[in-house]
Amino acid sequence: MSTQTEGDDERQKDSEENKRVKEIWEKIRSKLSDYISSDAFSRWFKNAELINADQQDGIVGVQSDMHQIWIETNYMEELRAAFAEGAGIHCSPRVVVKGEELELPGEEVKQAARKARPGGQVKVVTPDASAKDVAFERRLKRLGINPELDFESFVVGDNSQFAHAACSAVAHQDGRNFNPLFIHGGAGLGKTHLMSAVAQQLLTENPKAKVVFLTAEHFANEFIEAVRKGNLDAFRKAYRYADAMLIDDIQFLAGKERTQDEFFHTFNSLLNSQTQVILTCDCPAPEIQTLEPRLISRFESGLTVALQPPGFETRVAILRRKMEQWKVELDNNIVVHIANQIKSNVRRLEGALTRVASYSFLSLGNMSIEKVDELLGDLVRDENTNLITVEQIQKAVADYYGLNLSDMTSRRRPARIAFPRQIAMYLSRQITKLSLVDIGEVFGKRDHGTIIHACKKVKADMESNSEVRGSVEKLTASLERQI
Amino acid sequence: MKFRIAKEAFLDGLQQVQHVVSSRTTLPILSNVLIEAGDEGLRLTTTDLDVGVSGTAKAEVSKPGATTLPVKRLVNIIRELPSAEIEVSVDSKNVASIKSGPSFFKIIGLPSGEFPPLANFDDAKEYKIPQAVFRNGLKKTSYAISTDETRYVLNGIFTSFKEGKLTLVATDGRRLAMVDHELEFPSSHEVDFIVPTKAVHELQRLLNTEGEMMLKLSDNQVCFEIGASIIVSKLIEGNYPNYRQVIPGESKERLTLSREQLLETTRRVSLLSSEKSNSVKLTFGQNQVDVMANSPDIGEANETLEVKYEGKEFSIAFNPEFLMAPLKSLEEDEVHLDLIDEMSPGVLRTEDAFLYVLMPMRVTG
Repeated sequence: MSTQTEGDDERQKDSEENKRVKEIWEKIRSKLSDYISSDAFSRWFKNAELINADQQDGIVGVQSDMHQIWIETNYMEELRAAFAEGAGIHCSPRVVVKGEELELPGEEVKQAARKARPGGQVKVVTPDASAKDVAFERRLKRLGINPELDFESFVVGDNSQFAHAACSAVAHQDGRNFNPLFIHGGAGLGKTHLMSAVAQQLLTENPKAKVVFLTAEHFANEFIEAVRKGNLDAFRKAYRYADAMLIDDIQFLAGKERTQDEFFHTFNSLLNSQTQVILTCDCPAPEIQTLEPRLISRFESGLTVALQPPGFETRVAILRRKMEQWKVELDNNIVVHIANQIKSNVRRLEGALTRVASYSFLSLGNMSIEKVDELLGDLVRDENTNLITVEQIQKAVADYYGLNLSDMTSRRRPARIAFPRQIAMYLSRQITKLSLVDIGEVFGKRDHGTIIHACKKVKADMESNSEVRGSVEKLTASLERQI
Repeated sequence: MKFRIAKEAFLDGLQQVQHVVSSRTTLPILSNVLIEAGDEGLRLTTTDLDVGVSGTAKAEVSKPGATTLPVKRLVNIIRELPSAEIEVSVDSKNVASIKSGPSFFKIIGLPSGEFPPLANFDDAKEYKIPQAVFRNGLKKTSYAISTDETRYVLNGIFTSFKEGKLTLVATDGRRLAMVDHELEFPSSHEVDFIVPTKAVHELQRLLNTEGEMMLKLSDNQVCFEIGASIIVSKLIEGNYPNYRQVIPGESKERLTLSREQLLETTRRVSLLSSEKSNSVKLTFGQNQVDVMANSPDIGEANETLEVKYEGKEFSIAFNPEFLMAPLKSLEEDEVHLDLIDEMSPGVLRTEDAFLYVLMPMRVTG
């Protein structure tokens, strides 16, 4: 930011730009003094400066937060009019506190701001990633963000790589095209974790940012409350002036028409002002029941990323990370055993570890695999009851290909029936824990060789034929959601 | 645990604390009241982790102990009980049996050990304040607290102990209310902090007009001891903006008005202020003020107040709710209204150290 390292030309340009901004500000000021009383003008705008001005954006710097609050509440209409009448700039001007500003949307605006204020008085807040101070943590908690859920504590695996990368891009404000960012995935896979991490990163980099972090349920409740009290205006304001809006569990809006309506407008105004919006949902947007189509299409207009259940390696990595965090030590085979038993969701995985760790801590006894099984008995049973049955697979495949359920077990072998049946066999082999013989039994008392053949064929077809691969993936995903 | 208690005493005690319960379903114990029975009777405590309230109730304790019970449900039950005398016993599994006359209730509680303890104020700074002073101060300022959550530092009352004065300030950006009161405290205790709205509400419920209260301040929490009751609250983190910048300097015109008259007139006239503009217009002429409101589709209202006024003629419009709020909370017979012009904020003062800055509304047409 030092002007010394820049050439004379640069300095010249800077001072010209500086002069231009000053001239514009003079015009705006003279209009403004017509609109508001001289007392108010000298009180609030005397030492104000124009930090940036172009056709879309006007930023006024004032000397204290009280100036900012008072001007934002009382003089915005006048300020907007003065921008329009005095300088022909039609925008919603923003008021920032001098020396603390730079909650600006993009890099070029930042540069413009720097140019407008040569000498480098602009303070850019540099985050100290190592130490999260107590005040910051409290602020997070007040916003409803769990300070422990940050990027550092998120274990990235194949299942979450893309989602993690997208979130981290958004958090570092270089992903303006990822708006809105829509994260979906089943329970306990880290949607809220990622979103909290983004919120924290945004606040670390820019402590003045207005980050709204809430659940869709909270949004709906506030909306209902606002309707009841008749202060919808304040409600709208609170959300529409946010710098970033992060909403958890958006599927909650399903079936709430008026809330959806309000949300739609809030959502639009945020997108129009290029405010980052991040949403999480337990299923892909089009599958949210009774959600207005216009909302679905809005949700899909940005980037959609999915969180899958973690693979074995990731599960082990998560367990190891947690053990480090909680300062517990367990034998490697026990960790592997837990990771093998609990597959569907990270939250449950952590629960399992808590049990085992606290047992070993309290009893000081030696941990054995048998003991772990005993401790995790009900969790593992839960996992298994949630397992998909061959019947469910048969039904899903039959529905998908428009066949009768009886075709799955019948002896008929035209290709349009036989191939889906083979897919169902393949899926049964992949998803359930049944043996080849058992699977053959359920598919109309077929030989286990038939099942082996079906699996091989489908596998080969998936490699060579993208349509088959797509179908199988869709079916797998829809079955997994039934858990 | 076992005790006998008068219905009214139990109900009073519970009602003091029942407002502080958490809506967070993740921690069910926060919707419970901690009941501790000892030699001196019952101590009842609730908390939502931000604010905690604790009070006492007289009871005949035959077996001391502690448990927690869902407070909303308990209040509903106690309120409906037929007899004035209640007998409560709690077994080791925290199941409470409540007997009163012919009725018998059994409710399931949670162990008292899980209840989060209120913060400790051993090394805290202490301030002794007459209850009436604090109560009045809150009453005269709390209506101006901002409810805009995006400006969280304004979601509470700024409380300052400086230069031998206790100062309370609340603002929402459209108006600002401030009260000063002289108070003795050691100069090492000069400090300021922000008390969140929720704690302010609880305080207003518990404060009396007589006696003293003890304010204790640690790093990030404040505790108010009012008789046997205690309120503990987290403070709002952050710096309160410099409110003195808002207070206009010299005024051009000063009027002295009867508080009640101005309140009644504004209330009547505001019946016809439109929802959209929501303003009443005050027009100052020779020794009179016309208070007017009109909504294009409904009609208009007008009332004239006799005052001593010899300044220039002009009009100013205010939001009637914002104008009435301080008038309702004051007790003085007369208030002074200081004005500069129709676009500058008006200032309402009393002989006491009360001040209220109110932004005028734009008068269109």
